[in-house]
Amino acid sequence: MSAELHLARRYLVGLRRRTHVATVTLISMVGLGLGVLALVVTLSLLEGFQASIREEIVARATHARVTPSEGRRLHDPAKLASVLQEKLGDVELVEVVRGTCLVSSFIDAVPASVIGRSDALEVGVDRILAARLQIGSGEDISVISPRQRLTVMGPLPVRAQAQVSRVVSPEPGSQEGSVRLPLEMAQRLLWGEAVVEAIELRDESDPWRLGARVRAALGPDADALRVESLEDLHRPLLLALAMERVMIFVAVGLMLVVAALNLLCNVAMVAAEKRVDLAVLAGIGLPPKALRRLFLLLGVGIGLVGSTIGAVVGVSTALVLDESGALPLPRGVFSFSSVPFRVEPEMVALVMVVALLLAAAASWLPSRMVARREPAEGLRYE
Amino acid sequence: MSEGPQMVSLAGLSKGFGADDTRVEVLKDLDFEVEKGRMMAVVGPSGVGKSTLLHIIGLLDRPDDGRLELDGREVGGLGGEARAHLRNRMIGFVFQHHYLLDELDALDNVALPLRIAGSNAATARARGRELLESVSLSERAHHFPDQLSGGEQQRVAVARALAMEPDLLLADEPTGNLDRANSEAVFDLVRELHLKAGLTSIIVTHDEEMARKCDGIFRLAPAGENFDHV
Repeated sequence: MSAELHLARRYLVGLRRRTHVATVTLISMVGLGLGVLALVVTLSLLEGFQASIREEIVARATHARVTPSEGRRLHDPAKLASVLQEKLGDVELVEVVRGTCLVSSFIDAVPASVIGRSDALEVGVDRILAARLQIGSGEDISVISPRQRLTVMGPLPVRAQAQVSRVVSPEPGSQEGSVRLPLEMAQRLLWGEAVVEAIELRDESDPWRLGARVRAALGPDADALRVESLEDLHRPLLLALAMERVMIFVAVGLMLVVAALNLLCNVAMVAAEKRVDLAVLAGIGLPPKALRRLFLLLGVGIGLVGSTIGAVVGVSTALVLDESGALPLPRGVFSFSSVPFRVEPEMVALVMVVALLLAAAASWLPSRMVARREPAEGLRYE
Repeated sequence: MSEGPQMVSLAGLSKGFGADDTRVEVLKDLDFEVEKGRMMAVVGPSGVGKSTLLHIIGLLDRPDDGRLELDGREVGGLGGEARAHLRNRMIGFVFQHHYLLDELDALDNVALPLRIAGSNAATARARGRELLESVSLSERAHHFPDQLSGGEQQRVAVARALAMEPDLLLADEPTGNLDRANSEAVFDLVRELHLKAGLTSIIVTHDEEMARKCDGIFRLAPAGENFDHV
């Protein structure tokens, strides 16, 4: 152990022998500890909510979508589906058409997305559309397409009458209502022939990498196709979540900056109070660089103790709140019953590294001051 | 003046404090030499610059002007790291106040210069024990400074000053805070260790009796006036 490390340790351990220095040091530790605690709890809360959103996306949304790079209809979708199924193995694969139609009930008529899926055997409407049309399972709706057909009475819009079998959750991020139809019904409404616009895939075991796997499976054929991954399909939402995390980190992290400024004042105070000791240390040969390191070690030591305590308390608080469900949420508004917390070890490590860097930066100025002083200055007025 | 090899040689040394109207010249154009192996007392009225002189010789401060040689080597222009190295290896300090570190016990205080020099903890502490024994304080090794008497504190400080077996011992009124009995005990100890280790020692003191026990007395007068070298 180097002399400066030995001294820094003894200064920290020996602080109990000097009440004033011990008090200011304790205040610095508490400040940094509270900053770390606040950051860990806040980011765990945010991660809890964001993870729930991501899990919901994964549970309900398409994980990858293949569409033609030009035009709207896929050329030979059956062959494409068979290639993908063969190369990707056990993934859910659905042929899809999409469009916008006027959907009406006895009460109202509103424009809505029409999604025709090869795995849909019955008609479903999402909760948004059900609420707008004031309908539920078992009620009839009319779906009126913008496509027209020529009749003896002149051109008339293509329409279909259907009974709603179930009300389903809206697609993640969807604002307008949607109606889910069997593929053939949707094809008749939107195209009048067996067109497939997209193949949508899901893989619960590895949803975030499915897009890349699809691209790899398609090989050179991918040039004529557009493959969107889960990330591509929800980019604005995921970007907003990432941005939110950064902004919260910066905003709550300002607490750490304030704590570091407090640490700077306190280390400077210790430097002033220990002026004679430092002069004596220099007198017996402790070089300026070692003096500087001694103060950096003191600051980082205070930071390490404070941030470790803050992190331990923060992680424990987040885990206890998550496990106990002590903060309940109103049912129907959220898909979970209590405020979710999720502790990410990488995030805790990042918070601690930032706290330690700030502590080191805060001790840098006093350490520089101390190292530049001639030893006699500390002794002269004693 | 002296004829043997010089441990300390100062020529044309000047040092002042403050700036412009408030500037005070403490030492002016001072020449000073101490032969190897001698114990020199520096005496003079308060404020004449005795401590400043000692600080400059001990590389704790820099002169405004003049030349400083230690053991025949010009050291005035050395940088901070080199000066610290010389302070650690070549010079031992004893101050008026003991200036022991409150956070370290007597043994760790004595071993500190060795730790700074790079010795491992065990070696430094073993040497520290020897030194504490040489000042008859082995039984106080694990006492903290505030658990020692004034005389004991100063004896620990003497032991610390000798930890690196320096060539030059500088003592700034080492008995200034002690009663007569303790003063004599500490001075006798310093004198004994000086002879035993073959040191060169410079002792700043107000005590004429103590000064007379040294090999020579340097009487420092206010800046610009003459001074005696006995």
